[in-house]
Amino acid sequence: MTDAAIGAHGRVDDESDLDLVGRWQAGDQRAATRLVERHADSLARFVASLGAREQVGDIVQDTFIRAFGSIDGFRGESTLRTWLFTIARRLVLDHRRAMRRRGAQVEVKDGDLRTQFDPLDALVADESQQRLRDAVARLTPTQREVFGLRVSEGMSYKEIADAVGTTDGAARVHYHHAMRAIKEFLDD
Amino acid sequence: MTDCSNGELRDLLPDFLHGQLAPLARERVEAHLRGCDECRAELALLGSLRRTLSHAPAMDVAAITAAIPAYRPAARRAWTGWRAAAAITLLAAGGTSVAVMQRNGERARDTLAPVAQVVPVTVDLPPTAALPTAVATVPSVIPAPMTAHQAAPRELALGSSAVVELSDRELSALLADLESIEALPSPEVEPLPVTPVAPRGSN
Repeated sequence: MTDAAIGAHGRVDDESDLDLVGRWQAGDQRAATRLVERHADSLARFVASLGAREQVGDIVQDTFIRAFGSIDGFRGESTLRTWLFTIARRLVLDHRRAMRRRGAQVEVKDGDLRTQFDPLDALVADESQQRLRDAVARLTPTQREVFGLRVSEGMSYKEIADAVGTTDGAARVHYHHAMRAIKEFLDD
Repeated sequence: MTDCSNGELRDLLPDFLHGQLAPLARERVEAHLRGCDECRAELALLGSLRRTLSHAPAMDVAAITAAIPAYRPAARRAWTGWRAAAAITLLAAGGTSVAVMQRNGERARDTLAPVAQVVPVTVDLPPTAALPTAVATVPSVIPAPMTAHQAAPRELALGSSAVVELSDRELSALLADLESIEALPSPEVEPLPVTPVAPRGSN
């Protein structure tokens, strides 16, 4: 997928991420808005999939603040999207460590993925969706992370490897192990 | 649910789901799907999982954008805070010279020391302040030892013309110091410690 995306008003947005970064550095704050529009929802899904649902808004906002604040350090070795996901992932890990220091339970439990963000959704969620959530909740944290990035965001194994700090090959193995585990659960 | 034995095709299913395949690859996957029950089932499962995993609260784009600070280039950031205080302290000395003095025949010392005391003045330096001038008088600005054949006394005069009086070697060392300064964190503004130094070899 190229950097071009559907903008907030449904128009195809042809400006690349790097073009928008350049415009923002030149003083155009609208370019920052477009970058946030382009990546905020996928970051939110990713953060939520890591179990930090109650801090999704804060972590996504922090991600953008840190990314824009250190944009000069972005060397373009990965895509901007991958870089944002890397920052978000570190923030989630920092949050988990802070929670552990406070003695709070931070591991994603089986039931975590069952809870809906919109209470109304909980009333209409059907059993098959529930089974799928149960299946994903039983994955290991790494499998869940890799699987989520591959299936929800369509990231390549290279992008996933850069974001989570592993290799392309390991990301591919985690994905297929996750898919196998989900199929086995659903077949039971 | 069994897996298709064609691992390469299975690897392409998420990309196919997201419409990310080039036309040729997409046609290849479509042709495979027409004849493979396992891959059709896996693709359907991927679609369901994608919908399942898409739950997340809507993000407030305006609030996030409002929280993003305006861009400040890294070079400008380096010349605020204590670095600015250091710079203005030295400029406030009003052109006081820092002399690198060597007695004839003596081996060189490897540090440069101020010979005049300056009064520290803490002032915010605008980001456009000239970089090399103020740093020129920071002690040990020339880290490499000076050799005996450079025994002739030299003088590094502060002020607007200071840089042009530096030798190539001194200028290179000064630039190296500038780079190390930019790598340092930004503590609160502090006045520089000042150590009065007696002329070398006076004993």
